[in-house]
This record gives sequence, structure tokens and C-alpha cells, in this order.
Amino acid sequence: MFLIFHVPALTKTILISLIALLTLLGIMVRPWKLNEAIIALAGAGLLLILGLITPLDAMTVLINDWNIFFFFLGMMALSALAEAAGLFDWLAAQAARLAGGSSRRLLLNTFLLGSLISMVLSNDATALILTPIVYTLVTRLRLPVLPFLFACTFIADTASFLLPVSNPINIIVLSTFRLDLWTFLRLLLLPSLLVIGINIAAFFLLYRQQLKGRFDAKRLPSATDSIKHKGYFRYTCTVLGLVAIAYVIASATQFPLSLVALAGAGLLLVGALWWKQSTLLDTSRHISWAIFGFIAGMFIVVRAVEDTHLTTQFGQVLLQLSGGSSLGSVIVGTLGAALGTNLINNVPMAVVLTSALHGVQHSAPSVRLGFIAATIFGCDLGPNLTTVGSLATVLWLLILRRRNLDVSGLDYFKVGILVTPFMLVIGAVTIWLLLP
Amino acid sequence: MRVLCCLDGTNAEQLGKAVSTMLRGDTLTVGLVYVIDSGPHADIERQRERFLRHPLPPPQRREQMKQAEEASAQEILEEGARFLPGAERLRREGRPEREIVQCAAEWTADLIVLCSRSMLSQVPSLGPKSVGHVARFVLDHAPCPVLLIRPLSSEQLPHSRIV
Repeated sequence: MFLIFHVPALTKTILISLIALLTLLGIMVRPWKLNEAIIALAGAGLLLILGLITPLDAMTVLINDWNIFFFFLGMMALSALAEAAGLFDWLAAQAARLAGGSSRRLLLNTFLLGSLISMVLSNDATALILTPIVYTLVTRLRLPVLPFLFACTFIADTASFLLPVSNPINIIVLSTFRLDLWTFLRLLLLPSLLVIGINIAAFFLLYRQQLKGRFDAKRLPSATDSIKHKGYFRYTCTVLGLVAIAYVIASATQFPLSLVALAGAGLLLVGALWWKQSTLLDTSRHISWAIFGFIAGMFIVVRAVEDTHLTTQFGQVLLQLSGGSSLGSVIVGTLGAALGTNLINNVPMAVVLTSALHGVQHSAPSVRLGFIAATIFGCDLGPNLTTVGSLATVLWLLILRRRNLDVSGLDYFKVGILVTPFMLVIGAVTIWLLLP
Repeated sequence: MRVLCCLDGTNAEQLGKAVSTMLRGDTLTVGLVYVIDSGPHADIERQRERFLRHPLPPPQRREQMKQAEEASAQEILEEGARFLPGAERLRREGRPEREIVQCAAEWTADLIVLCSRSMLSQVPSLGPKSVGHVARFVLDHAPCPVLLIRPLSSEQLPHSRIV
């Protein structure tokens, strides 16, 4: 509409800001339990209808970010096809067997397995696939469920910056700010290992009494029972091994990671069809198509805000808050990202912050790198602060609590609020020490 | 007298001892209730929503979870029946505190017997937090008298007096 009629720049800026704010608020509150994708797409649609962003601009931003869309697709397909092979069930059964009847060792193995899965297949796989498997396992073993359930939830995020592929958020940030693999590892591997260690130690301390017991190994399901087809299982292990190596090579050579994920998923799909273990329809059912709408909507909304230079100014504010120092950049970046991910989902927060970081492009290299690493770190680890999703969910749980309904979601919150700030501070200080 | 004993997977022996020592056996009808807690399902669903997925896990996973829960419930009830032979077994699903109260009303219990907390609990056996949320809710909402079983802690008394 405003493409036809001339509208003052200030009016345009106000309208775009209003729509962007309403979109973020909608994602935060989710009125009538609306899907986030619908809210993000509604925001983008409104901007397009009002002519506050041109269709060409919207299309360009989506095409430019093809790597992110394809990575999400490849990552979800890889996990779904590996699940069809029974790989996760097999790994969990092995982790339990190696625990030798000790509850403590089983918790440690759950953390290690979660870290491995997050590292190679991203935090989605740990949170969405490993969690119900571990729940089934500990229920059979008659162990207290919550420590193990929480372990899966926490480690999914805590181990999600071991590699660029460990969290799609990393791909969103790295698609704009290309860090080579060695810089990524130099800045984030040690903090990652440190926070994983803190996470494990905190759980052992918090649940020391509940983990005193032993479990009867006879209750364990047979690991071989989880393998649905031996040939497809071996093939899946081989392909995933190759994908892991290819991820490292691609990260080192700046080759698009999405193509590796898609190629791996393609190979697994061929195997699944060959051994009749899955179909294209089955695999597609395991993919959350709404995510693509959500990201697309967010990209368009943030692109429109970029035109108003508000994101650049936000970046400048962040720079000022940091005092132009590398320590300031890491602290401000980490806190901003961590708090933001708990207000809205971490995907939109990463998109907003990535856009804002254009404003710090011309600062000193250590400050710029500090902001980038802190954004990845804060957006990845931040959700552990509330874990139940967002502050809105926490408030809702508190209301339920007041109605005398005990909700274990609040237990998540208690653990998160106790452990995560410590992990954030230690991780941020380590990143600062590792900056050039 | 209809006595409803609440099992939690860790307390069968304690409940068995309490019923056999404190209540007269010849007039008792004992029921054993075990509630499959639906809380973890809600946690898993919230987790899936955070990752922008449909809240329910795929049907095959749900079936696996259900089978594990049922097998475990069966085992716990059998274990309870070893300590309280001839007891009626009642299996429920939902929030344990609510289901126990509801079950007591439907089964027309004259007395509910339950432990103050899980035997694995890390909270001290005395003090304001010594009664867990399930026991607290049942104490507050039970439609009949409640017998609360707690570990013997006389060695922790007397408390030092404030002068």
C-alpha cells in the first residue's frame, strides 16, 4: 500500500517497529496457543501488504539464507532416519549397560551420550529423541525419573556449541559472520567443556541422594532388540560417521554445512528405502515444517527493521554498553542473548542479535569476535535458565502452582536458575580470556 | 475398615509394616494404589514445544513410554502385594496427589496410609519440608483420615532451645 502512496520515513519506521514488536510479543505470549510460525508469518505478511518491505527484498533475504533453511531440513531428516534405524535406543541401552548397575554412572553416561548426540546431530536430537528414550529406560529401571529427564534437557543446550553444527542457532549466526572452524573451536570449545563439566557436577550435587541406589541390570532391554534391521543399522552408523567427518572438513573449508546435512540425509533415505525401514512420507512426518515458516517470517520482519537502521542502532547501544572493551562485549553479548532467549524463543533472538551485530562490524577485532562468540554462547546456553521455554511459561507455571497444582516444570526452573547463571559467567569469562 | 495404601515404588515395606503393626488385620480391607505420574509427559511436551514441534511425541515413542510405565506399575503393585497379601490392586494415571484423593473417594476408603516423602528423598526427615508435595496435598484434601508414615528420627531430638 505504502509502495503506491508516499509515506514519511518516520511513519514507516514507527509502523515497522510496531509490527516487529507485536510479532515478538506474539511469539512470547502465544495468544490462543497460536503456532509461532503463524505469528511470524502474519507479521511478515502485514509488512508485505502494507508495502513496508518489497516482495523482492523479502524474496532476496530468503534466498540469501538458503543455507539455514537447508541445514534445518537436513538436520531434522538425519535425526529422523537415524531414529528409524534404532540408533538412539541402541546407544541408550549401551549407556545403561556400561553403567554397570550404578545410578550415578548412568546419569554420567546420559550426559556423555547427550553431549555426543548434540555435537553431531544438534541439540534438537538430544532434546526431542533422546529424552523420551531415557524416560522409558529409567522408568523400566525404576530409577527417579526427574534427574535423568532434566539431564537430557540441560545437556542438549549445554553441549550445543561444541561444533558449529551442534545447534542451528550457530548456523544462523555463522551464516552472517563467517568464523573459520579454528576460531570457533578456539573461542568456544574450552568454554563448552567447562560448562558441561559444571552442569554434570551440579547435577551430581543436587541429586546426590536420589542417585545413591543401584539398578537391576536384568531389567535392561536388550541392545540388539532396538536394532530394527542390522543392514540398515550398520549403514546408518557408517553414513553418520562420514557425515561427522564431512562436517568438520566443511566447517574448516567454509563449505556450506547444509549441503553436508542434506547429502547425509539423502544417503540415509536411500538406505531406508532400500531396506524398507522408512518412506519419504514417514520421514517428512518427522520434520517440523512450521519451523521454516517461523524462520522465514522472522527473517522478513528483521529485514524490514534493518531498513529503519534500528538494528544498527541497537548494535551501537550494545557497543556503548560494552564500553568498547573485549570483556564488556562478551558480558553484554552473553547477558543480552541469554535474557533475550528467555523472553522470546532463541531462534528469533539469534536473528535479531545477528542483525544488530552489523552495528559492531567496525569495532576492534577482539570486541567484534567477543560479541559474535557471546551471541552464540548466550543464545545456545541461555534457554537453560528457564528451560520450560520462556519467562511467559514460567509465569504460567507459577500461577498453576498458586492454584495448588504442583508442576514439575517449576522444578526445571529451580535447577535452571540455580545452575545456569554460574555456567554463563564461567563460560563468558573463559571466552574473554581466549579472545585475541 | 477400608485402608488405602499409597505406593510410590520405594515404600512397600514401610507401608506393609505400618498396616500390620498399627491396624487390626481381621477387620481390614486393604487397597494398594499406584499412580503413573503424568508429570514427565507434560515436561516432555513442553520441551517439544520449545523446539517448535507438536507437543506429542510420535505414536511409536508414546507406546514405548506407556509400556514401560505399565510394566513398572505392575511390578510395584506386585511388590506391594508381597508385603500386604490379599490387597486389592488399583492402578491410576495422572497427577499422583489428585489421583490418590480421587481414588480414596471412589473406593470409599476409611483411611489413607502414605509416606511423608519418597524413601529416596534428600530432604531431612524432620522439619517444615519433611512432608512432600503429594503427602501435603493428600493431607489437605483427603476425604477421610490419613495415616502419615515417617522414618523414626528420635535421635534428632530434642532440638536445642533458644534461651
